[in-house]
Amino acid sequence: MSDRVLGRGTLLAMGLRANLLQAAWNFERQQGLGWAYALEPALRRLYPAREQRLERLAEHTAYFNTQPTLASIALGAAARVEEERALGTGDAASMARLKAALGSTLAALGDRLFWFSLRPFAAAVGVLVAMTQPRHGWGAIALWLVYALPHLTMRFGGVAWGYAAGPAVLSGAFRDRLEAAVRWLGLLGCAVLGVALAWALAPAGEPRPIAVQCALAVGLGVGLLTAQRARPSPTRWALAFGILGLILAWRFHN
Amino acid sequence: MTGAHVGTLVLGGLAAIESTPVAQTLASQPLVTATILGALWGDWSTALAVGVVLQILAASTLPIGARTPEDYSVGGVVGAGVALSIAAGAPFEHVRQAASLTGVLAGMVAATLGVPLLRWQRQWNEGLARWCENALRAGRERALAESQGAAVALAFAIGLAATAMWMALAHGGAALVERESLRLAGAWHLLQPLWLGFGFAQLLHAFVQRRLERAGVFAAALVGAWLVIVAGAP
Repeated sequence: MSDRVLGRGTLLAMGLRANLLQAAWNFERQQGLGWAYALEPALRRLYPAREQRLERLAEHTAYFNTQPTLASIALGAAARVEEERALGTGDAASMARLKAALGSTLAALGDRLFWFSLRPFAAAVGVLVAMTQPRHGWGAIALWLVYALPHLTMRFGGVAWGYAAGPAVLSGAFRDRLEAAVRWLGLLGCAVLGVALAWALAPAGEPRPIAVQCALAVGLGVGLLTAQRARPSPTRWALAFGILGLILAWRFHN
Repeated sequence: MTGAHVGTLVLGGLAAIESTPVAQTLASQPLVTATILGALWGDWSTALAVGVVLQILAASTLPIGARTPEDYSVGGVVGAGVALSIAAGAPFEHVRQAASLTGVLAGMVAATLGVPLLRWQRQWNEGLARWCENALRAGRERALAESQGAAVALAFAIGLAATAMWMALAHGGAALVERESLRLAGAWHLLQPLWLGFGFAQLLHAFVQRRLERAGVFAAALVGAWLVIVAGAP
């Protein structure tokens, strides 16, 4: 039975394919197709019989959705359950339970960590560096590195962690570490934004004209007020400012 | 059409596939694509002026759950591409500023109009997923890889086509922007800090989350950095 234990090569192939998890994202099955595609290397190893493998693959194209980076953890855990299933100790119901439980839990954790914390933090760092180095590409590199390093580490490492721990992967210390990362990113993000705003008010120590500082303050104030409501979206507000600015420019410019 | 134009179109397609279908490393964010375009067109300052504003707005646009957010991957390429194509060879600073304003507005409109396009693409993917499951059950093992490939190709084609359409519009409207460049540059002086402040506020709201100690960290960093920057200036 040792040939049914998944090796590093299989887990790496799953991590690589997880990069296409959302390739065919759709409203009906969401990540279902990408999930099946990423799990295929494990199924290929676990089910040498073609008919059985195709049946499992078709089964995995059903609905699945979670935060895409942390999906790797669910993929690893699913491979573990699929391994037990192939050995005759698991069943389809346990796989369905795992997908439902890990999908929602990882979505809740991952949305807070990657979408609400790391992504805005990376953007704030990138914008700060780009403002201080306006004739170089360091801002883009900083933004990409701050986000992509943890993202890719989790995408590739997550499969192995999920496979090693199985369905219990989210219990205990791992979950606490993710929660701590969310807290620290919030604090660091506030600090980075403070520095970025100070630089926007006085780049390289030279205060900008009072009209520019007023416009910055008005934008900040209106932004804090509008952020209390989800709609209209920030982009629609920004477009409205743009149209208003154009009207004022045409009305008052000689 | 120059090599820079072709590069911009290809980058539009690549950004469209990186944002959701492939990898999602944030390489398709406006600041990154604007930097690449700045190197391609040889104009860092216009590219980064547009990239910073679009980036700060894109940062508060999140792909949570089944929500279809504004498409700032293609919007970022369109914004920087439009600004750079108008500013290319412009001898005066105010024309470049007018081009930056036009680019940011084009980027935001492209990102907003990208939402129905993304929805259509996702609906098309539903049919692809159903076909794939049936094909797998019928014994076609390569159906999964074929479906993934088709979805990625469609995303690339949509990104490239949208960028091409906006670049053509920019080509047609460049003379108008140049003619009205003084007015547009005046509006840019007002709108750039307004947009930056607005974007900072959106990010601040996301970080602070009604916690007093985080607001304190922001205030301390602002005052401390201001003192260091101003006192350290020559």
